[in-house]
Amino acid sequence: MRRLITALVCVIVFTVGLRADEAAAVAEPAPRAAWVMHFDGDWLVTKGLPEKVLLISLQGLANRAAPQLYVVHPKDFQWEITEPLFEFYQRKHGVAFTEVKTAGDALTLFAKHAKGYVIWEPSVSASMNVAFTIAGLEDAVVVTAEQVPLVEKHGLKKIDDLRGRYTGQTDAQIYTDAYQRYWARCTHDSLMLMGGHRGAVRMPGMADWGVRQKMFFHDLSANPIHAEEVALEKKLFSEMTPLGTVFGWHAYGKDTEEQHTTLLSSYGLRMEGLHNLPNLSFNCQFTFTPGFKFKNNNHVALDAKLTAEKKVYLAFVQSDSIGIGVWTKPGRGKLPFGWQVTMNWTKFSPAALEYFHESATKNDTFIGGLSGPGYMYPNHIPADKFDLLMDDARKLMATLDEHIMEIMDNSAADGNVGNADLTKETVDRYYKAFPNVIGFINGYGPARTRDLRDKRAMISYDYYIDPRRPREEVAADLNEMIAINAKRPYFLLVHVRESNDVNSLVEITKQLDGPLEIVPVDVFLKLAASNQTYTTRYQDPADPKHFKGL
Amino acid sequence: MKFTSWRALGILMTVLPVAAWAANPALAGRWRLDPKRSTALDGWTAWDLVVSLDGTKISLGHDMAWRATKFFATNAVDTAQPTQAKDFFRVEQRHMALYAVRGAMTPVKAEWLDGERTLRIEAAVPVESSQGTGPMRIYQELRLIEGDRELLLIELHSTRGKPCLYRFTKVTGEK
Repeated sequence: MRRLITALVCVIVFTVGLRADEAAAVAEPAPRAAWVMHFDGDWLVTKGLPEKVLLISLQGLANRAAPQLYVVHPKDFQWEITEPLFEFYQRKHGVAFTEVKTAGDALTLFAKHAKGYVIWEPSVSASMNVAFTIAGLEDAVVVTAEQVPLVEKHGLKKIDDLRGRYTGQTDAQIYTDAYQRYWARCTHDSLMLMGGHRGAVRMPGMADWGVRQKMFFHDLSANPIHAEEVALEKKLFSEMTPLGTVFGWHAYGKDTEEQHTTLLSSYGLRMEGLHNLPNLSFNCQFTFTPGFKFKNNNHVALDAKLTAEKKVYLAFVQSDSIGIGVWTKPGRGKLPFGWQVTMNWTKFSPAALEYFHESATKNDTFIGGLSGPGYMYPNHIPADKFDLLMDDARKLMATLDEHIMEIMDNSAADGNVGNADLTKETVDRYYKAFPNVIGFINGYGPARTRDLRDKRAMISYDYYIDPRRPREEVAADLNEMIAINAKRPYFLLVHVRESNDVNSLVEITKQLDGPLEIVPVDVFLKLAASNQTYTTRYQDPADPKHFKGL
Repeated sequence: MKFTSWRALGILMTVLPVAAWAANPALAGRWRLDPKRSTALDGWTAWDLVVSLDGTKISLGHDMAWRATKFFATNAVDTAQPTQAKDFFRVEQRHMALYAVRGAMTPVKAEWLDGERTLRIEAAVPVESSQGTGPMRIYQELRLIEGDRELLLIELHSTRGKPCLYRFTKVTGEK
């Protein structure tokens, strides 16, 4: 009971804090000055990384009190929205940006927000993350030994020097030491899992956010073969504020997305990625423009009744976080698409959501996800946390005018193939927690969890379009699905991987056997509720599991 | 019909079944998929076909992998008679929601053709889709290519308008 009260208090405190932030942002819509830097694509540890680490740590400090420094990345950067959003800030928020060309210029402008510097050691990978933790707590910029003259020229003094401290130590040893030194002073509301790329290339694009919020940085493994790291991460998770957020991403090659998401979900925490998502320290300080209200392109009313005809109904959904998807590529709007919105961006990056909304075509419909208010695997969310998390999700979906919840649980899968099904208990919880949605979508790769209750369907993906799969084979696969599911109506839900391009999908749809109709996903779910030609099914304990969990 | 013809027919009747049963030893061994010259696999990243022969019985082992997952399944066929195979393995397109039916029996027929250079297999595999369970008829020809270093597997599905062509190369020495 005490835990429940604590959790409720935290939710209330967080909600009040959020409202205060929103109020402050709404109160200052006046034009403002800010600065922009254009990064190149060089993240090599031996070349471009050290300067980026310095600048990103400086960005986190410069943006503590006000949004001052924004970074635009090249067009081939994974997050393609930095430039469109840069234009959006100018157009909709009246931000007048001045370009900053060099690290020296940035220090001239923003060194006053730092109290000193901390030196990391590129040959000891984890020292970068420890240095970012120190940067947040001590208002320091993060530098290599070679950069010391540059920052000292701008009046900064040494706060700490990690060179030699961790030489020869394992990551478990390094982060245990950091835990003992810094964790108590870090925020416990969130944690920065600064993993992702490892080795020759690293991309700590999200570090500005962690520095600003005084997070504990690490890249501990959730792989059982790294028992000491798993134990330390469990300790961190257990000491976080209930329902807290793990920002960043798992370390590639050290563990898997499935392992990490399973672990944090089992603590009732939520994931917000990726490790290279830039500018949150800037984005978090803007809210929706005055008078703006989300009006989603819902094609059917919540209480509408549709009747399916004897044909094939196909719907497309894209769920890999809208900012890294095909949104900015040509062809969007030619087909009805459901777009899974990272609903937590309402808190961290509302301007980005407004940008997506204003650039949406009538064929673009936003849906909630992924599994809740953040990325999590619901089969593993503790029962006492599930409803609290979904309360939050329900409110965010209402703000975003979303009528569909998308669920994903890959805790028994291996990548985008394998077992992605929900237990009956999990399905029960979703139907109870979301009485007002049109329906539910499940899976990432294909899955076979299906249900129909109260005229609301839960449909899993019957097909996943791998962007590397030859288009003629995709068409053959879809036609085979249509042939083998011979009853009409047949409801064919298709997940489109983020890097597919819409124009190629248009060509595929021309090759499909009919009678076939491509419909928006909300219409699809309503039609699926009218005639259950699909089986009711949940995860069967005897089904093959390709990842055995932790 | 003269006596000599009856005699010839008798000899033929004796020899023919033996010929039908006779396995081609060149098929035995480990064959590795050449992905560049094959229909694209979906989900799977590696496929070795491991063939062993025992009279009319042929064992077709499928040594599969995707990401960290390794999988091995064996389909046993018999050229002398139709059989019922439990959990017959199908190299599926893994991004399709079509699943094997656990414990299901699959009727299988196998036959040597073309002077024992082609093994034909026909199977009606129960498959679970979103609408329930039904059979998928699979027709396979495993053709030994001249020189016996390459093997071509042609696969047709009753539900697919496009054949799958898989080319394998014989693996010599260690796996």
